[in-house]
Amino acid sequence: MDPMKAQQLAAELEVEMMADMYNRMTNACHRKCVPPHYKEAELTKGESVCLDRCVAKYLDLHERLGRKLTELSVQDEEMMRKAAAGSG
Amino acid sequence: MMQQEQQLRNLRDFLMVYNRMTETCFQRCTSNFNYRNLTMEEERCLDSCAGKLIRTNHRLMGTYVDLMPKMVHVAAFSPPGVPIVRLPQCWCAPSSKSALTPHQ
Repeated sequence: MDPMKAQQLAAELEVEMMADMYNRMTNACHRKCVPPHYKEAELTKGESVCLDRCVAKYLDLHERLGRKLTELSVQDEEMMRKAAAGSG
Repeated sequence: MMQQEQQLRNLRDFLMVYNRMTETCFQRCTSNFNYRNLTMEEERCLDSCAGKLIRTNHRLMGTYVDLMPKMVHVAAFSPPGVPIVRLPQCWCAPSSKSALTPHQ
C-alpha cells in the first residue's frame, strides 16, 4: 500500500471516528439534559444552556482521555520493551 | 501491505475503544451542568474512570489470551454432546451446569 493511500485511509478513519464521537455525544447530552417529559416541542432555556455546557464538557473530557491514553500506552510500550530486552 | 492493513485495523479498534471510554466516563462522572468547565470532583472521577477502564481492558485481555487457547483446544477434540468448557469452580454456583455444548 503506497503512503498516499495509507494517508487517505487514515484520514477517512479519522472522519468516521469523529462522526461516531459526535453521535455518542448527542445521545449522552440528550440523556443528561432533556428529561423525557415532552410537554412541548421547543427547548427550554435550561435545557439549551445545559446542552451547551454538555458539549463543552464532553469535548474537554475527550481531549483529556486522549492525552491519558497516549500516556499510558507509551508507558505500556516501554514496559514491553524492557520485558523483551530483559528476557532476550 | 498485510501489515499496514493490520495496523489500520488496530488503529480503528483503538479509536473505537477511545470513543466508548469517553462516552462511559462522561455518563458516569459528569453531573454538574451549572458550569461549562469540569469541576474538581468530576475531574477526579474522570481520572479514576480512565485508569480503571484501561486497566480493566488490559486485565481482561490477559485473561482472555490465557483461557481462549484452552477452550479452542478442548472444543476441537471433544466428541459432540460433551461440554466444551467447564468453568472453574469459583465462577459458578455449585448446582449450576454452566457448560456450553458444541454445535452439531
